[in-house]
Amino acid sequence: MSTRPVIPLDGEASSPPDVLGHKGHGIDMMRRNGLPVPPAFCITAEVGARYRAEPEATIDAIWDDVLAGLRTLEAATSRTFGRGPHPLLVSVRSGAAVSMPGMMDTLLDLGFSDDVEKALAAEGSAEFARDSRRRFTEPYQRIVTRPAPADPYQQLRAAIESVFTSWDSPRAVAYRAHQGLDDSDGTAVVVQAMVFGNINTNSGAGVVFSRNPMTGANEEFGEWLPGGQGDDVVSGTVDVEPIAVLRSQQPGVYDQLVSAARSLERLSSDVQEVEFTIQDGTLWLLQTRAAKRSAQAAVRLALQLLDDGLIDEAETLRRIAPMHVEALLQPSLQPEIRMAAQLLATGLPAGPGVASGRAYTEVDEAIDAADRGEDVILVRNHTSPDDIHGMLVARGIVTETGGATSHAAVVSRELGRAAVVGCGGGVAESLAGKVVTVDGNHGEVREGSLQLSAWSEDNTPELRELADIARRVSPLRAHARGDYPRLDRHTEAEVRNAMASGHSDVVSASPLLAMLAAIRVSS
Amino acid sequence: LTELSVLQAVRLKGRVSRDDLSATLGEDRFEVIDRLVASGLLLDGPTLRLSPEGRGRLEGLLADERSRVDTAAVLAAYDEFRSVNPEFKALVTDWQLKDGQPNTHQDALYDAAVLARLDDVHQRVTPAIAAVAFQLPRLSRYSVKLQTALDNIHAGQTMWLARPLIDSYHTVWFELHEELILATGRTRENDDA
Repeated sequence: MSTRPVIPLDGEASSPPDVLGHKGHGIDMMRRNGLPVPPAFCITAEVGARYRAEPEATIDAIWDDVLAGLRTLEAATSRTFGRGPHPLLVSVRSGAAVSMPGMMDTLLDLGFSDDVEKALAAEGSAEFARDSRRRFTEPYQRIVTRPAPADPYQQLRAAIESVFTSWDSPRAVAYRAHQGLDDSDGTAVVVQAMVFGNINTNSGAGVVFSRNPMTGANEEFGEWLPGGQGDDVVSGTVDVEPIAVLRSQQPGVYDQLVSAARSLERLSSDVQEVEFTIQDGTLWLLQTRAAKRSAQAAVRLALQLLDDGLIDEAETLRRIAPMHVEALLQPSLQPEIRMAAQLLATGLPAGPGVASGRAYTEVDEAIDAADRGEDVILVRNHTSPDDIHGMLVARGIVTETGGATSHAAVVSRELGRAAVVGCGGGVAESLAGKVVTVDGNHGEVREGSLQLSAWSEDNTPELRELADIARRVSPLRAHARGDYPRLDRHTEAEVRNAMASGHSDVVSASPLLAMLAAIRVSS
Repeated sequence: LTELSVLQAVRLKGRVSRDDLSATLGEDRFEVIDRLVASGLLLDGPTLRLSPEGRGRLEGLLADERSRVDTAAVLAAYDEFRSVNPEFKALVTDWQLKDGQPNTHQDALYDAAVLARLDDVHQRVTPAIAAVAFQLPRLSRYSVKLQTALDNIHAGQTMWLARPLIDSYHTVWFELHEELILATGRTRENDDA
């Protein structure tokens, strides 16, 4: 074995993500830079890969190292695993070399027994201890597919094995196939001391982005759940507050959080999405990764990072995928318009597309309105077979109940209608008569008739700026007009041909896309 | 019974032409239709619709039909249907969406794998319909319509899987689901959508 099987994430792990996993690498990087992160250790991806071939022998061979890792967490927290008076609970998280959000398993609050619950109740409150135990037992049974054993060490061992196994879960396999990721390795496992957003009212959990990942504005963005744990925020089952609420509740902690997010952004040269927990007024960072972003934000953020000197011009262009630019050239609901409109309902995105109109809750009224030439949105509790005639005349469809495979969703997709389903009881009543926009891509209903618009290479300042940069960096300069050979299409094959013919300047209908292709071909 | 079949078919279709109504019933019922129009239970026009009186009459006929069946047997058949319902809706969704994007139907292997699942669904739903038709003979027609849709799909006409306004597999399934909900005296709100 080329590395140790268990590595403390104390800021000196100094191993790459393919050993520590993406998550472990991020934790070690945060520790190295003096940021507040709960103590953690990592079981390497190499062990994860070996586990897939020889489960029992592999876990037996590393178990003493895991126990030694646990002792370091106990020492760092002055708490003890599996017993009081100050019990240590841990989380067990997956961590592939490349982040695979939500694809593999995570188990929280391991280390429970009846005595541990009593000790936690004495430290915090009975409700806190009970709530934490519930957060442990229910997901544990679901993920490990058997009830949690009474012995905390057995809990830990089975959880680690379960996370290793989740590398081969159908959804993880499908995700890697779709993303073109290597299937042959395995996942690293991060074992980390728990911190508790559910311990009292001075606590909570959330996620903060160093800049707005939807609009690309240079402002903090995020969600905050007072009294909650991180899994609540991620699950989307609980209503969360905007991050501004934290600023008014705990201004000092908020400043610390924002400054940490900014410093992580500088360290990684990219906009970060940081999961955090506040336990009784103390900030803890749990995870950081490059923020997922809209196409608009991808362009704006790359230009900002260039302005801020965090990346150079070549890297700026590498941050923009051609599909981002292609998406921007299609009419869509611009994020700044979307975010500025009042959110009236959220549900599951069931039929792609965006549509506006007046909301009707009765099929006959909807048909009459459409006959008058109105744009109609049909809002129903659920749809019955005979609702088809209302769905036909509607531009968008909203339901209160039902999932992404419900009959309403199936029929909406078949008709090509924008649809949001499962918005919850009372939505039909609250929307009736209003002019609304159904966003079937994001699963939202917003107030007003929101206009779609497209960016253009000629008129959108961001794309013009990118094209200027590209003309300095690309081996092939593409222009909208001029006395140069004409490039008919901006495919990589065409671009390669043009360069092979010795052209350095061409005219193209999409100069930016042509140059992005040229940069990809030549790199 | 014929009157019930016609009124129920119009109710499930919402608005339906005489030809489409005959097609879904499997035979011409023009005399019955004319009689129902004359008595004001159906509203005539380019398409037929239920009048409020027709809806009331239908509710009465359905209640009467319900009162004569073995409710436990219908419930058992409904449970059987419900056990295969999620798989059917999932496969239709997989047919429509691939990796969360609209399926462009350019991956023949993917499409074939999805359609193969329909044969299994069909085998599982057929006995459930037979069981409920033992109580409500009217519903045996759903087996025939599902088989017709399946035959068309096997013949390569995949629009018969989910297209609305024709008796595609999903249209018939959706209506059958509605019938079973009605026959067991439930509402869809308390059930799965």
